[in-house]
Amino acid sequence: MPREGGIVAVCFVAMASPCELLLETADAQAAHEMGRVAAQEAWRIESKYSRYRPESIVSVINRSHGHAVVVDGETAALLDYAAQCHALSQGRFDITSGVLRRCWRFDGSDRLPEPTAVAALLPLIGFEKVRWQAPRITLPTGMEIDLGGIGKEYAVDRVLALVAARFTAAALVNFGGDLAANRAPGTGPWQVGVERPGTEREPRLLLELSRGGLATSGDTHRFLLRDGVRYGHILDPRSGWPVRDTPRSVTVAAASCVEAGILATFAMLQGGGAESFLEEQGVRHWCLR
Amino acid sequence: MQLKRPASPLHLSLMAASCALLSDTARAQAAPGAAEQPLQIDADLLYYKENAGRVQTIEPVVSLKKDFGDQRLLDGTLTLDTLSGATPNGAIPARTAQTFASPSSTSLTPKPGYKTTLYTIAPGDLPQDPHFKESRVAGDLDWSQPIGLDNTLSYGGHASTEHDFDSVAAHAGLSHDFNEKNTTLSAGINEEFDRIHAHGGNPVPGSDYALYEKEPSQTKNITGGLIGVAQVLRRNWLTELNYTFDHSKGYLTDPYRIISVVDDTGAVTGYRYENRPDTRTRQSLYWVNKVALGPTVLDLSYRRSKDSWGIGSDTVDAKLRIDLGTGMYLEPHARWYHQSAADFYNLYLIETGPAPTYMSADPRLAVFAATTFGLKFGIATSHNGELSLRLEQYAQKPSDQSSSLPGLQGLDLNPNLKAIIVQLGWHLVY
Repeated sequence: MPREGGIVAVCFVAMASPCELLLETADAQAAHEMGRVAAQEAWRIESKYSRYRPESIVSVINRSHGHAVVVDGETAALLDYAAQCHALSQGRFDITSGVLRRCWRFDGSDRLPEPTAVAALLPLIGFEKVRWQAPRITLPTGMEIDLGGIGKEYAVDRVLALVAARFTAAALVNFGGDLAANRAPGTGPWQVGVERPGTEREPRLLLELSRGGLATSGDTHRFLLRDGVRYGHILDPRSGWPVRDTPRSVTVAAASCVEAGILATFAMLQGGGAESFLEEQGVRHWCLR
Repeated sequence: MQLKRPASPLHLSLMAASCALLSDTARAQAAPGAAEQPLQIDADLLYYKENAGRVQTIEPVVSLKKDFGDQRLLDGTLTLDTLSGATPNGAIPARTAQTFASPSSTSLTPKPGYKTTLYTIAPGDLPQDPHFKESRVAGDLDWSQPIGLDNTLSYGGHASTEHDFDSVAAHAGLSHDFNEKNTTLSAGINEEFDRIHAHGGNPVPGSDYALYEKEPSQTKNITGGLIGVAQVLRRNWLTELNYTFDHSKGYLTDPYRIISVVDDTGAVTGYRYENRPDTRTRQSLYWVNKVALGPTVLDLSYRRSKDSWGIGSDTVDAKLRIDLGTGMYLEPHARWYHQSAADFYNLYLIETGPAPTYMSADPRLAVFAATTFGLKFGIATSHNGELSLRLEQYAQKPSDQSSSLPGLQGLDLNPNLKAIIVQLGWHLVY
């Protein structure tokens, strides 16, 4: 039986994305209170891990000039996770690959970087060069880390856990297309319209989600086109060059948003092999080429 | 949409990693908005002891470093030290017993209204004042903050006090990062002001010891500057070159040092208080390299200094930090130092020669070579604490130790110095 009052949506902006919290409740006051809790948690994670914020722990680590930085438990858990993903992807997933932005600018033009410029950055890439043993991280001078590849999905799961611990209603958290739900409302599964970045001309993907996470990794508009070859913005940190033949969009459903997000990212890093990779993993997925 | 298949081993690993991430942090429940503002505490206890019952020091140092975020750092250090033991007064050993007054005496001979404390040195022994005891309290406070994206401003002050010496100093520096933070240029200036008020008064420099002439307190000031460049040469190699300059002006004489006067047979006929020029200009070039060889870090430096008194010195210093894993490290240390003598340094004066304006028998102004060998061991005591123990041996060997004058033959006029250093350190990050 659906509860009286239906679904209340609370919206805010965090991590440069429109964010919403959907709650099945008739208590608008409580829903707004939960929205405030959700927004504060999202903003907390953003200010703690954004590489654009000089006071963030990521910026502190990036400015450490080869000195060890002692991190708190939450950051340690994220770094442990990044280390495991780096190992499980044989180096394809790497939080130190952001320095490649210095030579790759995906502005739709045909301006490819000089191969020597790309090669010159490779010594600054590779999580294996980072000394990480909780709680101490030592980043060699010149290297940088970026938790952007896992931060948003992590925030989605954290916000859902926080709201679910305070409020018994069915809840869905949606941060710009990365989402997670604790259970289906009384009326049946959540109906989710997934925007697929880079594929605005395609119809939105309409999905049903009862519980768990859903995440999308996309090629967006960010690419370079030269001699008929499209260079997408997914870069292989081992070569410094774009992964060939990536799908335009990969959406994965899994137990949590973090898990869905990493599977979608891993699939993108497989390029032409994205679909067969996802088949092997035995997860629900939607690829668009 | 596909048929559901069993999860692959990779998927199971990712599932486990994701669960660990979310459950870990669910437990951690970081307080919303609680930014990391670490406080670093260092506490050290240093013990220094020279051979032959000479000076020993016990020096506790506590330093606190607070990060106010955005690279704004406050650094404060408090040092206490106590020196005690016998200190050479500058005179050479003699064939006969020698008698001196401790500096706190106001007269060489007992007189009503004056204080006289005498000590006698056996024939052949190095004259040392046995009553030496000094305590010092020193504090430093430094602030540094970024200015814009690529500049760092730092400034601070220092003050110290002891019974016969007070010092205040201030410094300011600016550094600029460029070339994607691979190059840093720094410049700094400092100014120090000191007041010297020796026990029993400051002796008149160069005066006859027998006259025991004392003056009121004296001052000196030191103005200095630094320019430097640090460059990341490779990912694991940082090199830094610094040039420093300082100019001292005022009372640069050591109020407790005397120099023996001998006749042409080598018999001691008297003593004079030492006298140093009232200006000194010093320049040095310092080159340091830090190289990471895997988890092992090599720190190798060379310093060349030169001053207007004629002292030129070279220092080579090497440290190798070897990571033993599980939070332990070993750090062997070796240092070699050599200096030439000050132009006015002499073991003694000969009374028949013309009296020089400037004179000193301070062994620190002589030609000597010194070596230090040490080993430091560190161990992590918790996720944010570390204990360390450093043991070092210092050996100083002057090259000018004997005389050909008949009365001084066979005497060790400037003995070797040996010292041990033990330092216990505790480091904690909150």
